[in-house]
Amino acid sequence: MKRDQSWRAAAVCLALSLLVPWAASADPIKVTWWNIGTAANDRALNTAFADEYMKAHPNVQIDVTVLENEAFKSKLTTVMQSGSPPDLFQTWGGGVLTEYGKAGLLKDITGPVKGSSWYASQAPGVWQNYSVNGKINAVATDMGAITFWYNKDLLAKVGYKTFPTDWDDFLALVKKLKAAGIVPIALGAGDKWPAMHMWSYIALRLGGGQLFQDTFSGKNTKGFEDPTFIKAGQVLKDLTALKPFQDGFLGATYDDEASLVANGKAAMELMGQWAPNVQKDKTADKMGLGSKLGSAPFPAIKGGKGLVTDVIGGGGGYAVGKNASDAAIDFLKFLTGKENQIRMAETSGIIATAVGAEVGIKDPNAKLVKAIVDKSTFFQLYLDQFLSPAAGGVVNDSVQTILAGTATPAQACAAIQAAYSDK
Amino acid sequence: MKSPLLRRLVPSILEYFVCMVLAGIVLIPLYLSVVGGFKSSGQLAIDPLGLPNPFLWNQYGDLLLGTVGTFWRSLWNSLFVAGATVFLTLMLCVMAAFALARLPFRGRGLLNTYFMLGLLFPLAVAILPLYLQIRTVGLLDSPWGVVLPQVAFAVPMTVLLLRGFFLSIPQDLEDACAIDGYGPLGFLFYMVLPLSTPILSTTAVLALVSSWNNFFLPLLVFNSENLFTLPLGVMSFQGQHASDWQMILAYLTLVMVPAVALFIAAQRYIVAGLTGGALKG
Amino acid sequence: MMTKRRSKWPLLLLLLGPTFLLFTFFVVVPVIEAAVFSLYKWNGLGPLGDFRGLNNFWTLFQNAVFHKALTNNLAIVFFSLVVEVPLALYLALILGRSRFKFAVLFRTIFFLPYVFSEIISGLLWQFIYHPQRGLVHAFYAAFLPDASVPAVLGNPDTVLAGIMVVIVWKYFGFHMSILIAGLQDIPEELKEAARMDGATESQTTRRIILPLLLPTILISVFFAVVGSFQVFDTIWAMGKGDPVNAAESVVTYLYKFGIQRFNIGYGSAVAVTIFLICLTFSLTYNRLISRVEKR
Repeated sequence: MKRDQSWRAAAVCLALSLLVPWAASADPIKVTWWNIGTAANDRALNTAFADEYMKAHPNVQIDVTVLENEAFKSKLTTVMQSGSPPDLFQTWGGGVLTEYGKAGLLKDITGPVKGSSWYASQAPGVWQNYSVNGKINAVATDMGAITFWYNKDLLAKVGYKTFPTDWDDFLALVKKLKAAGIVPIALGAGDKWPAMHMWSYIALRLGGGQLFQDTFSGKNTKGFEDPTFIKAGQVLKDLTALKPFQDGFLGATYDDEASLVANGKAAMELMGQWAPNVQKDKTADKMGLGSKLGSAPFPAIKGGKGLVTDVIGGGGGYAVGKNASDAAIDFLKFLTGKENQIRMAETSGIIATAVGAEVGIKDPNAKLVKAIVDKSTFFQLYLDQFLSPAAGGVVNDSVQTILAGTATPAQACAAIQAAYSDK
Repeated sequence: MKSPLLRRLVPSILEYFVCMVLAGIVLIPLYLSVVGGFKSSGQLAIDPLGLPNPFLWNQYGDLLLGTVGTFWRSLWNSLFVAGATVFLTLMLCVMAAFALARLPFRGRGLLNTYFMLGLLFPLAVAILPLYLQIRTVGLLDSPWGVVLPQVAFAVPMTVLLLRGFFLSIPQDLEDACAIDGYGPLGFLFYMVLPLSTPILSTTAVLALVSSWNNFFLPLLVFNSENLFTLPLGVMSFQGQHASDWQMILAYLTLVMVPAVALFIAAQRYIVAGLTGGALKG
Repeated sequence: MMTKRRSKWPLLLLLLGPTFLLFTFFVVVPVIEAAVFSLYKWNGLGPLGDFRGLNNFWTLFQNAVFHKALTNNLAIVFFSLVVEVPLALYLALILGRSRFKFAVLFRTIFFLPYVFSEIISGLLWQFIYHPQRGLVHAFYAAFLPDASVPAVLGNPDTVLAGIMVVIVWKYFGFHMSILIAGLQDIPEELKEAARMDGATESQTTRRIILPLLLPTILISVFFAVVGSFQVFDTIWAMGKGDPVNAAESVVTYLYKFGIQRFNIGYGSAVAVTIFLICLTFSLTYNRLISRVEKR
């Protein structure tokens, strides 16, 4: 009797042990990943990431959806509103991420992040950009800065060997370029956000990081109607009066701006870390300005409280949707690890955020930008990303009205404040 | 004073002249589009108007060979979605327009207005509720999730056009059919439809073009790239900060070709005099 | 008599049922839900909340940019009725005849702009209007070398006019096709008979063709007006209504100030307003038509 039972028990155990792997592989854990890496090399890299992870974790299936930037934003908006976010998706931090966080659509990954070496792999300031109310909801992959990208030869032509570090000298440069028949600044004001960067930097130089911090914390009760912001508008207006931009700049796109600089038709542009890559594409030989391209921080403004090491910039990362599984979070950790960020830096030319990933940055200009980011005394995410979508839109619109002359700086700032305070 | 020949010739010459000038104006963007696909992105940025130099055959070639992008798979998807949309649109709207035009019943005017309302509301605003509807019936990430809403959107315009045409069919024909023993359906199939080939072709083409170029609805419904229709394929050439405009032009020029081919094919059904008089036979 | 009326309903259900159901489910229900949003201040995320009644509408009616958008739409309506539809009619009359050589070729060419997707037509026309590299620039360089090239899309004064050219370019073939289809319904015998009676081409056109084509013309006008209020893609692809809202239309306004700014309730209020405007037009127009048709 006993022997029979033991045989039966053994048979049942054997049968069960054969079933277990079946049960495990029956239901793979699905992870949905939405990214905007439409370029061929980005696609290949992301596919490689997904494949490698799936190979190491056979029970996980990663479904990748690749969309173009604007299309992604449109689709994500509707999908978020429907209440079922994807597990991992592209984000730029700031106001939009905050809205999603406040609506409870994001997963709080503070635990997994702080409870492991993950947290130490990136700067605290970076993590802050991707947190909502102290809870970490996203991880950065790329963080850069906006700088002036200029044509060394054209500047040399009017006697400038280096980029001005002072605003008055900068204005002198602009006038000299104009006198020489060179378009000083290329500006895609039709797209609005290029111009917004200009106003933001002027404000930052005038008021320093403290101005922004006080405005956003509410300490500065005047908000965007603070005289410093209005003065920034005036400085911008004065600059515009010198006619430093190309003809038709109010309708020009960022593409036009990049094209002008890349082909030597304009001396400079104020743009983010992607500028050299975009410029290269706009030239017949795909070389852009090559070694003639220089990068410099925004000049300091005399009497202003801001430092020349205060930085406005931004970058991208991946946010975690509220329904994401632990597998999704683990995959994200894999993605943003140092090794993979080095690969991202090498392939996509991004300014990777992971500590030690800068070895992947090959381009000297990109290294320069990374250095600027690392040494920054104050870091501000671009205003139209940082603020809520509503306020961000108004900032862009209002700066355009200053450029077009259809509103005074005071009126423009009032409009921004009205949108900002309208919670 | 003018001879009859001159009186006939001068307007003709004027008409041809106007048509040629207009055609020229219309074709300029087409030229830019076709030619742009042969240029390098660099040349396109500096010289969008000139002839390609160097002449890059490989851009169109890569698209057609499938080395770049997913033209053929997207083409198949677009054909399926457009075909299903046009077929269902015509079938449903012919029936509805016929009823609204030829069958008197109480509330007919109201129902007609009901369908027309779809033209008056900017549908962009209803995208979230629409998305939820599609999700409710489980049609997300399915071609039918695009086809069925597209048919629904096409209803107002198609019914309006068809109904207008059906209304103009003389009562004598209907009576003649009745005498021959055909009911309303018989009248529809044997008399109305054969006479309506011009309007049927026209509405078919309009529904086709609308479906062919639809970007936003497929974007919303499809997550799987192997379901993407042609317009979505253009995303492969758009980057976050810059796009390969020359590839976009090449790609979108190719996308136009099937739609234009179908339009030309449909012209056969829209020829003056072919339908003859409605009073014949 | 009674039997006939009763037996009609199954047939009507068959003919109208499917269309009615599909239309209601995918158009009417979403639209009604969206209309309800207009009473709330809502960002679209999470549950619907923060009821504000007609607040959105008051804000809307007082907003200067919305007024500008509305004026722009009226300008587009006017332009469509005065340029686009007559042009389409003229071409339809010419090309709808079987005797016109190359009719199919011309019809295809004129319809082509409608087949272009918005992405591409926006891009191509930006090339044409480009102040430094475009066709306009080339024209000025060749014929008016001393004049400064207008930056059509960069100048708030000219951007709407520039876009209206594109709108006409895009849609005149659409209207032409509808009118050609309507022309096929006119029996050839009538035209032959008139010709044999000695009528000239223009007399035939005026006395016989146009009156019979009137229903189709009225439909074309209806589309032109309603379409002019709904125009979005063309304007969006050519500068999104900017600079400084100079070319803003009511739907681009809706998109920018409602949807993009996560101000869903406000966007819906704009939509409801557009709907009411179009509805008023539609009802008035229909009344006018039935009076004309009775004649």
